[in-house]
Amino acid sequence: MKYVSSRALVALFFLCTLAGTCRGAMDYDQLFRQSSDLMAQGDLDGALTLLKQVPAPAPGEDAGPFVSSRMQAARILASQEETDKALAACQEVLRLFPDNSEARNFVAALKDQLRPKWHTVLADTLRFLPALGRGAMMTLLLVLCTMLVSPLGGLLIALGRISTLRPVSGLCWFIIWFFRGTPLLLQLFFIYYGLPSLGITLSPMTAAVIGLGLNYSAYLGEIIRGAIQSIDHGQMEAAKAIGMSYGQAMRRVIIPQTYKRLMPPVGNEFIALIKDTALVSTIAMVELMRAADQLFNTYFNITALVLAAMIYLVLTTIFTFIFEKIEYRAGIYEQR
Amino acid sequence: MNSASQPLLTLENITKRFKDLTAVNGINLEVSPGEKLVIIGPSGSGKSTLLRSINLLEEIDEGTIRFEGREVGYVMRHGKRHADRPQAISALRAEIGMVFQHFHLFPHMTVLGNVMEGPLTVQCKPADEARSIADGMLAKVGLSDKRDVFPATLSGGQKQRVAIARALAMHPKMMLFDEPTSALDPELVGEVFDAIHTLADEGMTMIIVTHHMGFARELADRVIFMDGGNFLAEGTPEELFSKGQDNERIRSFLNRLL
Repeated sequence: MKYVSSRALVALFFLCTLAGTCRGAMDYDQLFRQSSDLMAQGDLDGALTLLKQVPAPAPGEDAGPFVSSRMQAARILASQEETDKALAACQEVLRLFPDNSEARNFVAALKDQLRPKWHTVLADTLRFLPALGRGAMMTLLLVLCTMLVSPLGGLLIALGRISTLRPVSGLCWFIIWFFRGTPLLLQLFFIYYGLPSLGITLSPMTAAVIGLGLNYSAYLGEIIRGAIQSIDHGQMEAAKAIGMSYGQAMRRVIIPQTYKRLMPPVGNEFIALIKDTALVSTIAMVELMRAADQLFNTYFNITALVLAAMIYLVLTTIFTFIFEKIEYRAGIYEQR
Repeated sequence: MNSASQPLLTLENITKRFKDLTAVNGINLEVSPGEKLVIIGPSGSGKSTLLRSINLLEEIDEGTIRFEGREVGYVMRHGKRHADRPQAISALRAEIGMVFQHFHLFPHMTVLGNVMEGPLTVQCKPADEARSIADGMLAKVGLSDKRDVFPATLSGGQKQRVAIARALAMHPKMMLFDEPTSALDPELVGEVFDAIHTLADEGMTMIIVTHHMGFARELADRVIFMDGGNFLAEGTPEELFSKGQDNERIRSFLNRLL
């Protein structure tokens, strides 16, 4: 019995030692292989469960499998956007091996992801601003040209509309009817792509100013006509009574009184104009919208679009303030 | 003055219709230089339309207007009456001053700007000259201290005096007043009346349409009572306002006013 038991004990010891050592060595290899297989099959959770089974090494023991398992787990977790758990996995390694460079780099990268992205946004902004600025200048140029052209066109159309000469008022009615009744985009296409077939080729800028100018002249024409007709008829009579001609009465008496009434609706139109210039991007003109679109398509970076929106807002805000100032100045004579 | 023999203004058979309504019905009238004519009558009797026809602000349907002996405002072409060239019409208006019930000052110009606008724009005078003319006219109506303010700050009476100065700045040969005090508060009527009175004393020819009988009695050389587009009665103030007025229509009108 004593003999048996001692032999059995020895056998058991060897068995256990053997099994222990063999099982340990075999276990890690097999475990990593299994977890790789599971990952390949897409079972990330299964792979994680396996990796977590690798115990912390005893002092003096080989740390390789433990570190590998935890870092692999951290990578899986990070890919699942479980940043906190990924960090915890790295911390397990760092608690035992504070100098492990792989874990430290990974933690740094994770923390970088967690941090607000303002510095990347800032970098993008600085990268995009020159192109957007050039685009904004084109937009501004286009807006200013149209603002110069369309009130004059609008005034002519308005005076034509109230003219007693039928052909003149008919023509002006037709212009308003056509340019208010068709999409601005279509008008721009016609001027830029359609006119060359009639032998007229225009640069994008010229085509844009003509298209926007005509369209906004039609709208402003109706606004100006309304403002002129809203002036008390007695003003025209008083002007005529001192011997003024119709033209003198319009220029000296009637039209100056329309300025204050014109500013709110005209301001509206011009704010709309600033945004409508974006349509010009469709006729090969690189203005703000087109510049932003190009950046967006090149870098696939939404920052370009956000910046464009902000620049449009800045432009509209500036013009809003200018229009309010003009309106105040135009009506200063009404103050008692 | 040879003009004493010749009327300044002659109206022959003036007729103005608005659709079915005949506002002025074949009126004949002569106004001598320096005469002060007052037209009274109920609302809608055609007084204002007649006045506006003289200034060509209304295009008449029939009749002839002569100013200083020459026919004005209309030309015959192919046997049809047409309004004269705009320049000719403007030239006539420049010689006849008009003052409106509701002033119609130009609100975007200062008081001085209003008064110098005619000389400056119509007569193309240099700004300095126009300004000195305007200052003179403002002094005449007693508003020199208001020359640099905008009309919105003025009282009704002050506005009407500026309107008178604006008309006078053109040195008109005749003045038309279309109910000049009807839009005023009663306490402001006096100052406008005084301004017109000063003008009358200077010998200005004027036609005044008014509802103020006291005004008519004090100022007029001749008063005309108008009703339904016709002159019902005509005479000196004494004749027209006398108790012995035999026309029932005029008596009832005057009784209602007095």
